[in-house]
Amino acid sequence: MGPLIPNGVIPYEWNNIIAILIGIFFGFILEASGFSSSRKLAGVFYGYDFAVLKVFFTAALVALIGILYMDYLGYLNMEQLYIHPTYLWGAIIGGVVMGVGFVAAGFCPGTSLCAVAIGKIDAIVYVIGIMAGIFIFSELYTLFEPIYNGYFEGNITLMDSLGVNRYWFAFIFTIIAIVAFAASDMIRKRVKKIFY
Amino acid sequence: MKELEKTKRISIASVLFILIVLIGLLTYKRPPHMYAINSKTTLENITTDNFLISLEDIENKEYVLIDTRNEFEFQKGHLNNAVNIYAPEILNEENTSIFNKFQEENKTMVLYSTNPNEIVAPFMVLYQLGFKNLKMAAINNSYNQNKLITENIDVEKSEADINAFINESIKKAAKQSKPKPIVKAPPKKVIPIKKKKKMPVEGGC
Amino acid sequence: MVNRKTAKFLSFRYTILAIIFVVLAGGLVLLPKYEKHEGINPEELLSNSVSPERYISTDALANKIISQDPSFILIDVRGEDEFSKYSLPNAINIPLKNLLDEDSLMYLNQNQYDVVLFSNDNFYADQAWILGNRLSFQNLKVLKGGINNWYKTIINPPIPTETMPAQEFDLYTFRKSASMFFGVVYPEQIKEVKKPVVKKVIPKKVIPIKKKKKMPVEGGC
Repeated sequence: MGPLIPNGVIPYEWNNIIAILIGIFFGFILEASGFSSSRKLAGVFYGYDFAVLKVFFTAALVALIGILYMDYLGYLNMEQLYIHPTYLWGAIIGGVVMGVGFVAAGFCPGTSLCAVAIGKIDAIVYVIGIMAGIFIFSELYTLFEPIYNGYFEGNITLMDSLGVNRYWFAFIFTIIAIVAFAASDMIRKRVKKIFY
Repeated sequence: MKELEKTKRISIASVLFILIVLIGLLTYKRPPHMYAINSKTTLENITTDNFLISLEDIENKEYVLIDTRNEFEFQKGHLNNAVNIYAPEILNEENTSIFNKFQEENKTMVLYSTNPNEIVAPFMVLYQLGFKNLKMAAINNSYNQNKLITENIDVEKSEADINAFINESIKKAAKQSKPKPIVKAPPKKVIPIKKKKKMPVEGGC
Repeated sequence: MVNRKTAKFLSFRYTILAIIFVVLAGGLVLLPKYEKHEGINPEELLSNSVSPERYISTDALANKIISQDPSFILIDVRGEDEFSKYSLPNAINIPLKNLLDEDSLMYLNQNQYDVVLFSNDNFYADQAWILGNRLSFQNLKVLKGGINNWYKTIINPPIPTETMPAQEFDLYTFRKSASMFFGVVYPEQIKEVKKPVVKKVIPKKVIPIKKKKKMPVEGGC
């Protein structure tokens, strides 16, 4: 049956409309759960708030387990899903740059737009920074291109590259996540409480 | 108590989530027929193994003959001890149980029809469903004065050498008159395959 | 108001949710495994492959080739040696055992052209068609009767006897001129002194279907 759009259950033209609806909903949830506060986001690095880690780990788990079940029962064809292509060094360098920006500013690109929507000045500065970064990158694209397009590994998943059975992978991943939640809770209790 | 208000929301969400999972599991219906082998292995098997069998070899106790023509044709005449299962109906419940029974008894099922071309479809479907003991009878059934005539035929045998025929015709024509036309077989072109480079994709967090 | 008991129970809420996760993930590991259902339903496959819709007659094909219809490609599923002996003009050779190779899929799994499969008879071509249909390849066709029928009807058409209806004569005239197109020379043709026209062939480019999922994605937190 699924994925719905490639299999024609929902007409292709609805693609953008659905994307906008999901985007609005996503932004609302981010704002509602306090992710438009840079102090909450940065908390994960200083050890006083692990909400970011928990939320994103949980989201990944729910999606992973849900998709595996739906694939197993035949509601969804996993092979038709889009797998993000891996450009190894591009991803590593980009990840480091993004991580530094995350710690320094306390926003990731998505939440920064949320914060702009509620009128935070630091977020506005942050977004201007993003635009400047994009501009520099596009201007120097020829310089970055070998890294940007190189080290192409194909549309691989962790399960492919590690060669593990995907069900076992999901199970182990769940255990790791829950251990991480428990550990983060313990760390939070030891760190001095910060009110923000 | 504000904390507990939030908890309620979490509980409702998790209950709903579990409910969805349960509904998914309960409404799940296993399809009645499942492919046992994928297309790649099927292709490999049908091109390497020989599934064809000639008229002489059919007389074997281990073999069950299955006539895939319609009932009318079957009544007109059929091979000894043949079972009639019309090709479009092979996936009916009762027919599947017949096939399963033969499979359990370890009997080899030999399909036959008016000619071998007719049994490709039922054979391929049954084979991909996992019936391993299948054979196709390379026989032709025709009628002569209401009598069934069964004969061996060679499947996919090239019947004529077309190039030779064309050359022959040119020669014959050339004998009758002098001017010899130049005949060139239209060239075969193999089209080079172009691989599409994947577009780089924008993305990220 | 929430009473004390539920409050106590709910203080374990994260533990409970964690347990639900572990149970669901563990369930995945314990589920019985089966071969993935690949392609269309067997029932659908059967009804498709029993129906004669996929066949194209030799006359129709000859007409298409002569009128240089650009909308189809010919695929010869016989072995290489038979292909080199004789094949239809512009045919591409994909021996049956290479049918699902990546290079062959380029030709089969696309929706730009009709693909006409043929072999000596239609036995192998049918097998190829059924495999292709299971994987829901579009626009596959099979030449009815294959090369043998091609020889019998187009290359060497039977001359109709006097008692046959007029259509038979029309058909014969068509087939005869078709056979001339494909290189057969008739004695009476020489008098007209005509060179058989060798058509120049424009190679076709096959563009594989673009998958819809290749949309660029913006994403993130």
